Amino acid sequence: MSAAPPAIGAFERLQRRAFRTPLDGLVTLVFVAFLAWLAWQAVDWGVLRAVWRAEDAALCREAAAGACWSIIDARHRLILFGLYPFDEHWRSTSAAVAIIATVVLSCIPWFWTARRLVSLWIAGFATYYLLMDGSLLGMAQVTTDKWGGLSLVLFLFSSVVLIGMPTGLGLALMRRSRLPMVRLVASLLIDFIRSLPLLTTLFTAAVVVPILLPDWLQGDKIWRIIIAFSLFFACYQAEVFRGGFQAIPSGQFEAGMALGLGKWQSLSLIILPQVFRHALPATINMVVVTFKETAVVIIIGLFDLLASAQAAFGTGDWVAYYMETYVFVALIYWAFITSLGRYGEFVKDRMKQDEH
Amino acid sequence: MTMKRGWIAAAVAVAGLSGIGTSAFAESETLKTVQERGTLLCSGHNGSYFGFVEVNDKNEWKGLDIDLCRALTVAILGDPDKNQIVPLSWAQRFPALQSGDVDVVIKATGWTMGRDTELGLQFSIPYFFGGAQLMVRKELGITTASELVGGTVCVAAGTTIERIVADHLKAENVEHTMVSFEKTAEVIGAYKAGRCDAYAAWGPSIAVLLANQFEDADAHVILGDKLSAEPIAAAMRQGDEDWVDIVNWMLAALIKAEELGVTSSNVDEMVANPPNPTVARLLGVDAGMGERLGLRDTWAREMIAEMGNFAEIYDRNLGEGSPYKLARGLNNLWSNGGVLYTPILD
Repeated sequence: MSAAPPAIGAFERLQRRAFRTPLDGLVTLVFVAFLAWLAWQAVDWGVLRAVWRAEDAALCREAAAGACWSIIDARHRLILFGLYPFDEHWRSTSAAVAIIATVVLSCIPWFWTARRLVSLWIAGFATYYLLMDGSLLGMAQVTTDKWGGLSLVLFLFSSVVLIGMPTGLGLALMRRSRLPMVRLVASLLIDFIRSLPLLTTLFTAAVVVPILLPDWLQGDKIWRIIIAFSLFFACYQAEVFRGGFQAIPSGQFEAGMALGLGKWQSLSLIILPQVFRHALPATINMVVVTFKETAVVIIIGLFDLLASAQAAFGTGDWVAYYMETYVFVALIYWAFITSLGRYGEFVKDRMKQDEH
Repeated sequence: MTMKRGWIAAAVAVAGLSGIGTSAFAESETLKTVQERGTLLCSGHNGSYFGFVEVNDKNEWKGLDIDLCRALTVAILGDPDKNQIVPLSWAQRFPALQSGDVDVVIKATGWTMGRDTELGLQFSIPYFFGGAQLMVRKELGITTASELVGGTVCVAAGTTIERIVADHLKAENVEHTMVSFEKTAEVIGAYKAGRCDAYAAWGPSIAVLLANQFEDADAHVILGDKLSAEPIAAAMRQGDEDWVDIVNWMLAALIKAEELGVTSSNVDEMVANPPNPTVARLLGVDAGMGERLGLRDTWAREMIAEMGNFAEIYDRNLGEGSPYKLARGLNNLWSNGGVLYTPILD
C-alpha cells in the first residue's frame, strides 16, 4: 500500500476500540466501573483502613480496621527466615543475597562462558553454605533442619536448576545416542520419573530412602530432596531439550562433518546454541514452575516460605490475619517470578539480535 | 531382641522366685542412642498448631507438646535445650518415627487402634483429651446437636472430625448437609459468612478460634455434646518397652507433681523438707526414681524445677497464661473433675 493510514488521536482510538456501538460502550463502562470498584476495595482494605505497626495490633480488632499489616511487622522475621536462630539472621540474609547476586550475575552476558559461569556458581554456593552452616567459618553451627523461609526457597530453587539443567541436557543427549542401551536407559528413566507426581518423588526421597539405605549413605534430608527434585526437573527439561534438538535439520550435523568438525565440536559449536534458542521459552516456563513448586517441600517438613508463613499466623494472637500473611508471601513470589519472566524476555531479545 | 527379652524375663522370674534382690534395670535401646548422641529428637510441625506446636517471634518452638519434649530432655539429658525439634507434617510423623528421624512423636496425636496395631506404634498414657464439638450461632436457639435438623455443617475436609460428626448426626437421625473445605481458615470464613449453621472441629480449636477470631464471640455458643473423646498421647516405635516406660513416667511425674502440689517455685523447699514419702521418692530425696528407668535419681526434680508441673505447662500454653484461656475441663486431675491420673508411684 502506498499511503500510510491517517494518524489518529488517542481519543479517537479509544472511541473506536471501546465505544464503537452503544452496546460496546455499555460493556466497557460496566467493566471499568467493576475494575474501579475492585481497585477501590483493595486500596481501602490494604492501605486506607490498614493497621501498620506491631504495637497497634489491638486496633486490628476494631470493626473499621482493614488489613492488619501488624502481623508482618511482628512476624516477618519468622516468615523470611523460618526456624533460623534469631541472632544469626544476618547470616541468612547475606546467604540469600549471595544466591540472588549469583543468579543476577549469571544473567549478565559477560559471564556466559563455561569457566566463568562454573566459578561464579561455585563461589555463590560456597558463600551460601559457609554462611548458613557457619561451622567452617568458626561461627555457631546451624544445621540444615533449621534452615527456612525465603533463603531456603532460593537455595532449593537454584540448586535444583543448577543440578537439573546439565543433567537434563545429558539425558537429552543420551536419548539421541546411537547406542541402544544408552538410549533405552535414558528413555526408561525419563518416562519413569515423569510418570510420578513430584510429591511422591520427594516423599520417597525424604521418608522412604532413610528406611532403605544404611546410615552412612543417607546424607542430610535436604540433600536427598535436592537430588530427587533435580532429577525430576532434569527429566522434564530433557524433553524440553529434545524438542530443541528436533527443530534442527539433520543437514546441520552433516555440514559440521563436512567442515571437518568432530562430533562434540559440531555439537557444542553449531547444534547446542540453536537448541538453547529453541528451548528457551519452554525452559523459562520450567524454571518459573520450579520456583513455585519448591513450596511442595512443606509436605515433607521443610520450613519453606509457605510453611513459615503458616507458622506466622498459627498462633492465638495472629490467627485472624492469614489473609495479610498470604498477600505478603504472594508479593514475594510475584517479585521473583516476574523478574524471572522479564529476564527470559531479555535473553530472547538478545538472541534475536544475535541472529542478525 | 526376643532372645534378650526372654533372658530378662527369665532373670526377673528367677529373682522373684528366689527372693534374690536383683532387678532388671532398664535397657532401652532408644535411651542409649539418645544418651550417646547427646540430643533428643522430637517432632515439630510444618507450620503451627495452636497451643501445641507453635513458633514464637524469636523463631523458637513453643507449645504444650514442645514443653513435654523439653521436659523429657531434662529427664534424660539434664538440659531442656539438648533437643532438636524436627519439623514434620502430619502424614510424615509416623514414617519419620520408624526411620529414626525422631525418637518420639509428641504432636497432638490421637491413640487409635490402627496406629497401635498396623503402624507398629505404641502409645504413652494420654496427657490430653479433646473431642469433636459443634459451634452454632446463639440466635438459632439450639442447645444440643440433635436439634440441628436440616442444618448445614461446615468442616475441614479429610479429618476424623468429618466422619465423627457425620456418624453422630446419622445415629441421632438428624438430617443435615455437610460442607467441607480444605483449610481451617476457609471453614471459618464460610461459617462467619453464614454459609453454614454449625462449625464442627476439635473442641480446643473451636475455643481458641472463638476467643481470638470472632469480634462477636458472645453471639456464638459451643454445644455441650462431645461427639468424641480422643486421647492424645506420645507415640513411640514398637519393641522398646523400656523407652515407653521412660516417657510414661515423665508424664506421670508431671501429673503427680501437680497432684502433690510440687511446683517449679517450691521444688527446692520440697527437696529440703519433703512433706511425705511420695514426694521424697518423686524428687529423688529417697532413691529409686532413677535407677529403675536407667536415669538419674533426681531427674524428676530437675524436670519440675526447669519446666514446672503439668498444671504450669498447661497454663503457659493453653490455659490462663496463653491467648487461648482454655479451661482445664476433662484435662484436669481426677480429683478436680477431670480424667488425668497417674500410675502409683511406689
